[in-house]
Formats: sequence, structure tokens, C-alpha cells
Amino acid sequence: MLAYVIRRTAYGFVTLLGVLFFLFVLFFFVTTPEDMARRALGDKAPPEAVRQWIVNHGYDRPLPTLLAEHYRRMLTFDFGRSDADDVPITKRLREGVGPSLSLTVPLFLLSLPIALGLALLVAFFRETYIDRVGVVLCVLAMSVSMLLYIIGGQYLIGKLLRWFPISGWDPNPAVVGRFLALPVLIGVLAGLGSQVRFYRTVFVEESGRDHVRTARAKGCGEGRVMFRHVLRNALIPVVTNVVLDIPFLFVGSLLLESFFGIPGLGSLTREAIDGNDFATLRTMVFIGAMLFIGAQIATDVVYTVVDPRVRLE
Amino acid sequence: MLAAACTNNPYPDADATRKLEYLAFSAPPKTLDPAVSYTTTDQVVIGPIYETLLEYHYRDRPYRLIPGLAAAVPQPEERDGRIVYRFHLRDDLLFQEDACFAPRATRQVVAADVAFSFMRLADPLVNSPVASFLSRIEGFTAFGERLAAERARDAAFAAKPAHEQYAQLGGIPGVVVRSDTEVDVVLTAPHPQLLYWFAMPFTAPVPWEAVAHWDGREGRDAFAEHPVGTGPFRLAHYDKQSRIVLERNPNWYGIRHPEWRAPGAVDPTSGRPLPFLEGVELRRDRESIPAFTKFLQGYYDMSGIIEESFDRMVKDDRLSPDMAARGMQLEKAVIPSIFYLGFNMDDPVVGTAAGERGRALRQAMSLAIDSREFTRIFQNGRGVPAESPLPPGIFGYDADYVNPYRQIDLERAAALLREAGYPGGIDPATGRPLHLTFDTQDTTSRGLLRFQYFANMWRRLGLDVEIVATTYNQFQDKVRRGAYQLFMWGWVADYPDPENFLFLLWSGAARSKGGPNTANFADPRYDALFTAMRDRPDDAERLALIRQMRALLETECPWIPLFHMEAYTLMHGWMENVWPMGLSVPTVKYVDVDAAMRARLREEWNEPIRWPLAVLAGLAVLLVAPAVRTYMRERR
Amino acid sequence: MEPHVVSNVVVVSIVVAAAAVWWAARRSPFWRGAARDLVRRRPWALAVVGVYVLVALLDSIAWIGPGTRPRSVVDRFFPAAFHERSYSAPLARVEFYGGAPLNHPGRHLLGTDILGRDTLHQMLKGARVALLIGGLTSLLVIPLALLFGVSAGYLGGRVDAVVFFLMSVIASIPTLLLLVALIMVLGKGPVQVCVALGLTSWVGFCRIARGETFKLRELDYVHAARALGVAEWRIVLQHVVPNLAHLVVITFALTFSGMVLSEAILAWLGLGIDGSWGQMIDQARDELSRDPAIVWNLLAAASALFGLILAVNLVGDALRDVLDPRTARERL
Repeated sequence: MLAYVIRRTAYGFVTLLGVLFFLFVLFFFVTTPEDMARRALGDKAPPEAVRQWIVNHGYDRPLPTLLAEHYRRMLTFDFGRSDADDVPITKRLREGVGPSLSLTVPLFLLSLPIALGLALLVAFFRETYIDRVGVVLCVLAMSVSMLLYIIGGQYLIGKLLRWFPISGWDPNPAVVGRFLALPVLIGVLAGLGSQVRFYRTVFVEESGRDHVRTARAKGCGEGRVMFRHVLRNALIPVVTNVVLDIPFLFVGSLLLESFFGIPGLGSLTREAIDGNDFATLRTMVFIGAMLFIGAQIATDVVYTVVDPRVRLE
Repeated sequence: MLAAACTNNPYPDADATRKLEYLAFSAPPKTLDPAVSYTTTDQVVIGPIYETLLEYHYRDRPYRLIPGLAAAVPQPEERDGRIVYRFHLRDDLLFQEDACFAPRATRQVVAADVAFSFMRLADPLVNSPVASFLSRIEGFTAFGERLAAERARDAAFAAKPAHEQYAQLGGIPGVVVRSDTEVDVVLTAPHPQLLYWFAMPFTAPVPWEAVAHWDGREGRDAFAEHPVGTGPFRLAHYDKQSRIVLERNPNWYGIRHPEWRAPGAVDPTSGRPLPFLEGVELRRDRESIPAFTKFLQGYYDMSGIIEESFDRMVKDDRLSPDMAARGMQLEKAVIPSIFYLGFNMDDPVVGTAAGERGRALRQAMSLAIDSREFTRIFQNGRGVPAESPLPPGIFGYDADYVNPYRQIDLERAAALLREAGYPGGIDPATGRPLHLTFDTQDTTSRGLLRFQYFANMWRRLGLDVEIVATTYNQFQDKVRRGAYQLFMWGWVADYPDPENFLFLLWSGAARSKGGPNTANFADPRYDALFTAMRDRPDDAERLALIRQMRALLETECPWIPLFHMEAYTLMHGWMENVWPMGLSVPTVKYVDVDAAMRARLREEWNEPIRWPLAVLAGLAVLLVAPAVRTYMRERR
Repeated sequence: MEPHVVSNVVVVSIVVAAAAVWWAARRSPFWRGAARDLVRRRPWALAVVGVYVLVALLDSIAWIGPGTRPRSVVDRFFPAAFHERSYSAPLARVEFYGGAPLNHPGRHLLGTDILGRDTLHQMLKGARVALLIGGLTSLLVIPLALLFGVSAGYLGGRVDAVVFFLMSVIASIPTLLLLVALIMVLGKGPVQVCVALGLTSWVGFCRIARGETFKLRELDYVHAARALGVAEWRIVLQHVVPNLAHLVVITFALTFSGMVLSEAILAWLGLGIDGSWGQMIDQARDELSRDPAIVWNLLAAASALFGLILAVNLVGDALRDVLDPRTARERL
């Protein structure tokens, strides 16, 4: 077991090194430091300032050194300074984690039970009109672009009904809830379609299995069967799905954050896109990948704990 | 519970009755370093923090300079063939309190601080965008060059803090500190616009302690994020992604010495001592529409008018009746600015090299662009159609002037195209419509629409103009290499003088030399007229020179002038003593609000509509009820 | 070569390829049965997808004259200068602002946008972009992914290790971040967007090809072929690739909607493709706050996008049920 965990972690680490190499090629080879300096300083900058910028950001060294440095810094979480305004990226990350988490944690905690509940409901009534209507609704909901959920929700709830501020942010606990209500609501709604459909598939499949049939044959009520037998046994795919969603808690929802003006990591990414801030963008990609790999390792380990039959091939 | 929690007030309830001004900003400030900051947002934040030696009178138009930190507006004096401006600082001026002065809390503002600011402007590492404008100060440019050379030569020198480096080189010869309160600025050539620079934050006194202490290392802020100034306000909270708060600076001379009744410290109409506000709360709203919606809800005090809501706000060029009924006020002002389409004169097809053909092509293209229609479609008609680079309110502007090539005349354009050798827009070399590229760095889909409008206009002449929306990087690269043909650009005055507009076509400011003459227009006749005009006072001869330059631009047509921006500012009824400025000049200290009225109206305007909640709850019950029923039946 | 010539050539090759595939598939009872089953299950969704494809193809065939610019078949459905000066409501006779009479009163079925362009026309043209995004990208990616996936699965060993490593590297970068990073570095433009989308969707195809090849390799008839001394590349082409086809088709249908929806988000970030529905939505979204609100642009683009995605999702679901009931659990 321990050997497996170690092996799995080691492979994850190697993958991360691969991601770093990929980023290096992308950000140092395809775009050159000279490009980055020009973007940061504007074209009026004298060559001297461009050179100084390149030196200050440490981009003036030969490629192998840069590569080694890139690895060293990323792996020690020393992300350097933003290309756009020279602020240490770590500081930005620290500032952004709070708002991001305060958006995504409630979003996550709310949408999971709602999606599971609805999926159970639909699976409970499988093969009836409720199921059919439910599935069609899910596919409909999945086919709407996220942009439309946000635009529509902001317009309807924020502007016409005036329930909450249409956007904005203030970490002051007295008002923070007002700002979060609308993005959380929209986020839950937008994600519901695909989640419900996925969980429903899992539940329906599970309820067709032998042990469930046996339970039913023994005279268990359908509700009891759903909760005791189906839900419990369907936990593995549910857990996978949930764990793989966790990285997005940190990266935040890029769209939600920037539409609603929440200064989290998603907004930071948006900012980096608009400002051609390659250093920050690179860091965000790295962190996203790191969290994703971490979550994958966690899932695999949880698998082997929950279900000894599962082993990594 | 949800119904009770519903409110759209973005501010803590406790702030409701405080005298704060609430404003929105869309892009975070780039830098708060007064030597570098050039964007509007930067200026909104640092304007009230860094007080300048001179400032503009709040009410008087045309613009008039009054003393700020200086005791009087100096007059140029001639001494040994040089022009000298002698500034007397008020005594007993203090910087705001700041940790950089430790162990003291603050210190006096002295003439050496002014000199220090100028040395920073000259320093190539500070990279000030305005350094080239100040080159007529004696030894200014040379100082920067010496700094660069010395840094390259001696690594130990380069490692020292900036103020020690400056001191070691002996400063700028043309900025002479005579005593703690007296500083001379010495010019080698006349520069009548010089004093305007003393009304901009670039030249505001900066304490060397702040630059040395706030170096961005070991967890300390960078100086660009940590302003230390002398103004009526200071930075209380700086989270540039979402919230910036300014609060009163008790060290400001107007607060410490109300008895001076200094011109910059009293309201010119009521005579009351400034400032009126407790502070300013700036909130980030990246998108204009949410920001405007919040303005309408009463959560921002002032706002421009977004294109989308213009017709609801303004009827027949006046505030619409229902907005007026809410107590709103509308202020209009023409911003001294010019927006134009430019040709790259270094280009072989549209530029100087194409000679007569190029000129005819440019003239033809100008005749197809209807700027009135453009402003109507994209700006609700806001904008004064431009005939020449000079906007209204600037010396030399002529309301009656009509540029013969700025009329819409497709027939004449077609004739000119034939003359240029492109009959019907067809390039004889290829047998196809003449292909031109229009480079933009606006990659947003909404921005693109504007450029498509121009391309459509030129298509009517048979020309094939391709819009190349490149990233900033690619665009800059093209500009560096001169690989562009058409572009759109805008310029907002630094100071109210024709020189600040006409230099945009002076060959000395060519883009290829790093200047703002992106059209790379280089015409010896124009240059001669420009240098003659530049240093003259506003007299009849200057006017005659400007007319000649205008006539030259008319035929050469390096630009297609589009419009001069017109700002419509809305403010709520609780705003008092607001006066439009046009120039981006700090006016916060003059503004007053009626906080009680604001609190009352906000509540009145924002009652949430609650009935859909009940409908939703009903739907949820309908959805779950059959499930619960079936479940119960089964359990039995 | 002129862009419209390239486009014409592409259309012809697509039509020829489609005909060839159709002819080949007709000979196989499995595919014939599957097609019949699919038509029975989702006639409407299939028809809708067909209409979109038809519009996109027609919009890709263009020629010059009369006039100087190439116009496509779709363009030719509309009069030559079919634009107004600015906004006009659907079927309106006058301009939305100012009330000036229109050049083509009552003929803009879905109104016009801020530049006076016909909304219906633009909506139809968006189909080409959407199918370019989803379809062309997949057509480029699938052969590459098959190459990598099949060689990894079939050859195993070092090759497999390398391919698997590549896959895990790409797969561990969150999709949207990867897309953004790629387009930022490569620059804006349709080709760049397609390359970026291709790289992100590559893993999905590759993983399936690899996994399935593993299984196929161990099947008796493959062993038998090998024992008979059939060349390895022939085994791959004759026995492995055809047996992957159904999985590729399923994955294609499921990836397609994801790519088109991703482009909408990219368009909003300013990184999308000109003329896409995402761009139309982005350009039109602020018009909701006009007073009275201008909704026809937003609605036209949004419903065109919604219709395509919905139809493709429905067809994709049905395809999965028809072709491969085992993978019903897979979520892409």
C-alpha cells in the first residue's frame, strides 16, 4: 500500500516536471524575453530600459541556466514578480486565494448536495416521465453557454429584481455575503445540468446491479434501496468527480470571478491575459496543474482504500 | 431568510452617513510613481496625494495657473542668455506621515525635494514618459546620459540608492537649489509651456526617503505602490484589484494653516476652507455596464454615460426628464483631445515615398470617412467632428474652419483615386482592389466593430482594407519595424497649448525615434513652422504660423482627423461644487456631498422585488411533493 | 492561394471524403445497422446537425464576381449591399435610433447590428466558424491522436511510456488555462485557436485509442494474423484502426460541443475567432442595457449556438448508446 502511494506520488512529481518543461518551451522559446520586456514597458522604452528589465527579471542568462532557474523557482514556489507591474506574484496569490475560496467553497458545498439530490430523485423515478423530462432538461441546461447563464442571471436577478449587488467585492464580513450570493447562485445553476446527468447515469447503473436487485427482492422499499444500497455503492465515481473538481476551487472560476469583479485567482488570470503578464500566467498554469495532479493522486489513493479491487494498471 | 438578506448595497451600513465620495475605476492603476504615471486612473489616485507647485484655477476658463506649494506663480527672467524661473516654496510644508521617515514621523518639504523629482524624471531607469519634454532644462538630458554611463562603468555606483547616485553626479545644472525654500529652473531656450509641467504630478516633490525605503524588497512595498506626498489626501487602503481608499491628510498645509487662506486651499466661490470630504472610496468595476447600473442605483456619485444608456439619460442634448426628476445633474465638456486615423508616412504605398499618388490616395480615403456618422453610431453623437488636430479651447482652434478633405464626397474621392492610379480602387499591379492593412491592438470583439466601420467606408471606394487585430506585442513590433499602414490613435492634452497637439506631427517626435508621431510625418516645411510657432506667446504671428501648418496638413493629409472627445458627466443631486475640468487635474478637494440625502435616496431606489422568490419556492414544492408522496406511500 | 480558393478545395475534399466514408461504411453491416438505429432514435437532432453542416459548407464555397470580392453561396442568398447604417429591429422599416428610413425596409428578418449588418446573415455565417472550430480541429487532431495512441497501445514498452507521459502532462493542465496560455503565446487567429483546441482535445482521443488498442492487440484474430506473418503495419491498418472507429466517432461528438463552447469563452476573453457566435454574443451582451433593450443579436447568436450544441449533444448521446453501450459511464 505504502509502496503504491510512493510510486503514485513519484509519477505525479515526474509529470509535474514535464508540465514545467512544457511551460518553459512555451514561455521562453516561443515568446522571447525581449518580447516580454517590450510588452511590459511599451515601445517607447529605450533599449537600456528593456535590457534592464530583462536583467531585473533574470531573463538575460543562457537558456540552460534559465531552464534550471525556472525549475528551481517554480518548485520552491518563488514565482518572482509580475511582468506587468513588478509586484511579487506570491503576494498576489496570497491576496487572491481568500476571495477565490470564499466563492468556490460555498459553490461547491451547495452544488454537490443539490446535484446529488436531484440525481437521486430522477434515478428514483427512472423509466418514468420524470426521468425523461429530467434528462432532457439536463441536456438543455448543458447546451447553454456559461456566458449566457452569467449575462442572463446578472441582468435578471441583479438588475431587474435588485436582490443583490450586480457585481463587486468587499472582504468586510458585514457585506461579503451580498457580493457572493449572485455568483454562487449562478454557478450552482450553470453546473447543475452536467452534474445531475452524470450522477443519474451512475445511480441508474448501480441500481441495476445484482446486490441492489437482491435488496429489492428482499422487500426493501425503493427509497431505502436508493439511499442504503445505491448511493453508498456509487460513491467511488462520485468521489472521483468531486476530487477532480477541487483544483478548480483554487483556480477559481475565471468567468464568474471576472464578471462579478471578485479579486480572486480567476480575476488574476484574467488580468494576466489582458496585461500580457506572462510571469503570472505561467504561475497560474503551474499551480493549476499542480493541484490537478495532487487531486489525481488523492483520488487514486482513496480508491485503493475504499475498494481494494481497484489498482493502478 | 433569503428575502430578509436581500440588499444590493455594496457598502457597509455604517458608512452610510460619512462624507465620502464613491467612484468607480475600471483598470487598476499601473503605477503610483508620480514620475511615471500617465493613465487617467493613476492620476485619479495620485492627483490628490501629490500636490504640485502650481495648479489650475478651479473655475476660471481659459485655464489659469495659481500657486500651489509655491508661494507665487514665477515669471521667466533672463539671466546670462538663459531663462530662469525662480520658485519660492511655502515654508512649513510637511510630507504626510510615513514609515520611511523613521524615526521621525514626517519632515519638512524643501526645495531639494523638487530637484530630486527632476533628477528622477531625467533618470533613464525611472523611464518617465515625459522626460523628452523637459529637455530644454539646462543639462537635463546630459544628466540622464551621465547616469547611464556611470552605471555601465561602475557596478558599485549602480548598486547605490538613487539619491546617492544623483548626489555623486552633482544633480542637474539647470535645477538649482538656492535655499530650503528657493529653487531655480534654468532653461537654455525659451519654453513658454514649462509652467504647465509644474501643475502635473510629474514634478511634484518626492521625498528621497520614500524612494530609498519603499524598494519592493524584503516584503516592503515598491515605491510605485506606496505614494508619499504632500496633498490634501493620503492613501488609506490600496488593493488595486478591487478597492482604493483615500483619507484626509492632516499634514496638508490647507488643514494645518487655514489662516494662510492660500489660493489652493480655499473654495474660490464660497471661500470655505478645503477639503470638504472625509475621503474617497474607489471601487473596481471592470465592466462599464455594472458600474453604470450601480451609479443609477446611487452607489457611485458620478459617472460618464455609457453608450448603451445614452438615450435614456439624455434627450435633445439635455438631461432626460425622469433623470432630472431624480435630482441628477449633467455636465458637458469638450476634452482637449484629438482622435484620428493615421497613415504611416514611411509606408511605400500610402506614405511619402508614393509622392503624388500617395497624397491623392490619402485624400481620397479621407473623403470617405464620415466622423459625424461614426460618433453618432458609436458614441451617441458625443464628439466634435475634427477638421484639424487642434481641439476647441486651445489657442488656434477655428470653429469656422472647414477642411476640404474632411467632407464626404465619394465622387471626388473616386476622381482622386483615379489620379492616384487606382481607378475604382483597383490596383493595376494585381488587377484586384488595392489591399491595405489597418492595424489595431484592440483585440476585443466590441472594439473590432469600430474598425470594421472604417473598413466598410473605404470599401465603398473599392479599396480592400483588412483589419489586423494583433496582440499588443505584435502591434508594437510592427510599429518598431515600421510595418503598418493605417491605424487609429488618440491624444489627450497634457496642457492647454497648441504645441502639445501640433508636435504630434513634428519629425522630432517620430515614432521611429520613440516619439508619439506614429504617422512618422516628416516635412521640413512643417518642422520649420513648428519650431517657429512652439516658443512664441499666443499672438497674431503664432496664429498665422498655425494657419500655415493647418493648410499644409490639409493637403498632405497624414491624418484623417476624426473627432474631439466630448465628456458627459452625470452626478447625483447630493453632489455639490462639482465643476468639469477637461484636463485630467485633481479636483477632489473642491467636491462636497450631502451624505444624508444620499443615504435616503439610496434606500428609496433599491427596494428589492421579492415576489419571484415566492414563485420559486412554490415551484420547488411542486417538484418535490410527488416524490415525497411516492416515497411515503412505499414506506407504508 | 486566395483564401476562398483554399476554402473551396477544403469543401470539395470534405465532400469527397464524406462520400468515401459513406461508401465504405455501407459495406459493413455494423455501421449500416448503427446508422439506421441512430436515424430512428434521433431524427430531428440529426436533421438539425445536417442543416448546420449544409449551411457551413454552402458558406465555404465562394467565388468572385459580379463584384470584386469573393462571395459565398450563403452570401448570395442576400442582396449585394444588404446593410443599414446602424441598429434596426427585426422586420423594422426604420432605424432603431433616429427613425431614418432603411435601405431595405422590412427585409431584415432578425434585424441588424450596430454596423447595420443583417443579423440573420451573420448568424448563418457563424455556422461555418463553429464547424471549423469543432470539425476541422477534430479532423486534424484525430489522425495525430490515432498515430500516437495506436502506436503506444500496439507497440507498448518505451513508446507507450513516452506517449503516456505526454498525455499525463497535457491532461494535468486545466483546460481553460492551457487554452489561454497557448493562444497568448501563439497569438490570436483562427489557426492558433484551432491548434490550441486541438492540443487540449488531443489527450481524449489519444487515451481512448491507446486503451482500446491494448485490448485489440490481445485478441485472437490479431494474434492469428501475426502468426501468419502479416506485416505489422497491415495488422494495424486492417484490424486495429477499423475497430477503433466507433470510439473515435463517439469521442468526436462529445468533444465537438466542448470545443465550440470553449471558443465562446475565448471570444469573451478577446482570444476567439472573428465571426463566431461567441464573438456575436460578446458584442451583443451589453446591448441588454440599452433602453429599450436590444435583444435580437444576443438571442440570434445564443439560439444558433444553443441549437447546434443541443443537437450535437443529443446525437452524441444516441451515438454512444448505439455504438458502444459499454462506455455509457464515461463522461467527457
